[in-house]
Amino acid sequence: MKPAQIAAVGYGSTAYHKRGKSPDPERKLLLKAIDDAAAMAGIDTADIDGFVSYGADLQDGPRLTGPLGTKELRWSSLVWGGGGGGSAGAIAQAEAAILSGQAETVVVYRATAESTSGRLSSAVSQGVFGLAYRAHGIDAPAQALGLRTQRLLEAEGVPASALKAVAQASYYHANRTPWAVGKDLVLTDEAYDSSRLIAEPIRLFDSSRENDAAAAIIFTSAERARHLTDKPVYLLGAAYGAQGRWGEMDENHEPYHASSQAAPARRVWERTGLTAADVDVVQLYVNFTGPPVSALIDLGFCTAETAGEVLTFENLVAPSGRLPINTSGGDLAEGFLHGMGNAVEAVRQLRGESPNPVPGAKVCLVSGGPISELSSVALFATEQGGPTPNRSTA
Amino acid sequence: MANERDEVHPFSDRVDHPYWEGLGAEELRIQRCAGCRRWSWPADWRCPACGAYDMVWEQVEPVGRVYSWIRTHLPFVPAYADLVPYVNVLVELPQAGGARIMGLLTGSEEGIRIGAPLTGSFQPASPRTADLPVLTWSLGEQVAA
Repeated sequence: MKPAQIAAVGYGSTAYHKRGKSPDPERKLLLKAIDDAAAMAGIDTADIDGFVSYGADLQDGPRLTGPLGTKELRWSSLVWGGGGGGSAGAIAQAEAAILSGQAETVVVYRATAESTSGRLSSAVSQGVFGLAYRAHGIDAPAQALGLRTQRLLEAEGVPASALKAVAQASYYHANRTPWAVGKDLVLTDEAYDSSRLIAEPIRLFDSSRENDAAAAIIFTSAERARHLTDKPVYLLGAAYGAQGRWGEMDENHEPYHASSQAAPARRVWERTGLTAADVDVVQLYVNFTGPPVSALIDLGFCTAETAGEVLTFENLVAPSGRLPINTSGGDLAEGFLHGMGNAVEAVRQLRGESPNPVPGAKVCLVSGGPISELSSVALFATEQGGPTPNRSTA
Repeated sequence: MANERDEVHPFSDRVDHPYWEGLGAEELRIQRCAGCRRWSWPADWRCPACGAYDMVWEQVEPVGRVYSWIRTHLPFVPAYADLVPYVNVLVELPQAGGARIMGLLTGSEEGIRIGAPLTGSFQPASPRTADLPVLTWSLGEQVAA
């Protein structure tokens, strides 16, 4: 593998407030997150010259240069389309900006507070649910993703236990994460099984929340990163997009049960020479529990046939599981920031700062917005050259 | 918020206008390329197979089978709140190249499963349906009234 050329040098994350309950408006939350990231990186916020977000984020670069005192704005971009599917795609754009020399110090972020952006459940859909949905009583992500999840379960034969394991692993990690919104909620079998139905097959505890929060990660060249921090987290590769017959298609995309991860995943694996077998820990976008299961299949961690045996609670939790996921509780139980919390936890985990450390973790995959109209993958590592590929299993 | 994909004013200029107009005339119409005959769904301006813009609409029988389904328990759509819990079906139309359309299931939910046959009924526009004529669906292969 070609040595990684960019690295994360600092992250910042505000508290996850209940939706509408943040004491600070959206831009102020974001500025504080960027301040924290810059402080960790030892960077003056005025030196940040690139800004990247995704989804329905309203806080574009030019809106931030005033309060940050930006010396020169060189890059401002939004992953176009795909909502939370762009969450790791924003990292790919930061990489593009730095590798091309357009910018030197790029902050990737997402901010959402109801007092500015309105209900997140509406904002994230960005007009996807048109008349073909609404005329029939469908106007929420839970419903559209419920349709796709039903197909995953009933036609592909993935057992519902896989969804439950994702939920329980998320809450298990949140129970051990001091700032998680789900810190005190122990998701027993009974609590999960008896939780109310939202859009069958999706239950309450299969569903993410809506929170007011902001988070930011600062990227720069790998070379500069080594001078800034003794804990650079290298980006081995990132990609976003979707395979053919995918996109905004009113439930006519193919294969219907799958995620949109297959194409970006293939590009990341080809570029790095690695496979799922080389990944120590995964941070998955979990708007609902079905999409991450589809993503894990498309990423190569299991198949529809083996999902039931691979995706168990024991396997999905740190420190002992073979495939620990969402080690701070993730979108379900740490708090929902449209997936940005997952990239933050990836960096935190590889810096050895996770509330649920995975012993010896060297490679962490971030899966952004599976099942979105486009989605994204980012692969981080503690070493610039990445791991030696593990060829024993696929 | 972003515009919807097919947002055009006036409504009659929308690419899917013939679909809604057809439902008002109690006809299910699906888009097809006049050149290469490929079914095109959801409706759009350009045939992805041959690049033509000459798209036509063909009437098909309002029958299909369950491609997927959900049962909604929360009043996500205020106009449907009084129906909660209600079942939506994603209907596959084998007679139209496998095009899939969404709809409300009415009548018995007994035996709802992927692959189950469905028969559509034309319903006039109402406040519930965003003032659009729609198809609702019932399980079974009976001939539509």
